[in-house]
Amino acid sequence: MTAPPRTGGLLPPMPRTWWLRSAAYRRFAARELTSVFVLAFTVVMLLFLLALSRGPRAYGRFLGWLGSAGAMALFAAILAAGLYHTLTWFRLSAQVQVVRVRGRVVPRGAVAATLTAAWLAVSAGVAYVHVWW
Amino acid sequence: MVVTVTARGPARAEPGLWALFAAGGTVAAFLMPVHAAILGIAYAAGWLPADALAYDRILDLARAPLVKAYLAVLLVPPLFHWAHRFRFILRHQAGIHRARRAVAVACYGTALIGTGVAIALIVRI
Repeated sequence: MTAPPRTGGLLPPMPRTWWLRSAAYRRFAARELTSVFVLAFTVVMLLFLLALSRGPRAYGRFLGWLGSAGAMALFAAILAAGLYHTLTWFRLSAQVQVVRVRGRVVPRGAVAATLTAAWLAVSAGVAYVHVWW
Repeated sequence: MVVTVTARGPARAEPGLWALFAAGGTVAAFLMPVHAAILGIAYAAGWLPADALAYDRILDLARAPLVKAYLAVLLVPPLFHWAHRFRFILRHQAGIHRARRAVAVACYGTALIGTGVAIALIVRI
């Protein structure tokens, strides 16, 4: 067995653009970047609640903003990042969490498919309460 | 054989922070697209029924205890999901390797402030 070479911690630094080098690295960076849109979504939802708590006039102004082109562009980006996060997160979850049913390991594809089906059902339930309840 | 690893200081918080990151990622995966589609796309496009986002209706909805609990789940864990990933975006993609402690405090601190704002709004509404 050979020992790893001693570098004294002086390995050459990685170039800052290492994650542009391959498609897999770029996908990794894209998955990480979806978190910025998760924050944007949370902030917009907090503003939604803030407007609601301030009364009908503030709420009306928020709805006015929701109808603007800028808000639509922001939400389109949040939705695109959200869908990418959702689908990659389910694949990731199937890799990380081994699921057994009666002692047998459930194939990863089946785990991801189950999560996707559950996501569609939950989304339909949320949409029903939010819009039609 | 059982190996017990006792971490000290910030390292001891890492599993808890990772669990919050994973919980937030799961919440965002399940709930973010539908909310973005309703508020950001369907409303602006005029696909919703006329009174779907009416003030009284949404206020009643937001005041229901179950909906309040839902809002806490929707808003709080995803903040920590962002904090965890953004902490490593700064290190891995932006190449900022210095002041790791300060970066972590800033990221999780922002998530904590967001948590406070969210809880205050949900309780008072």
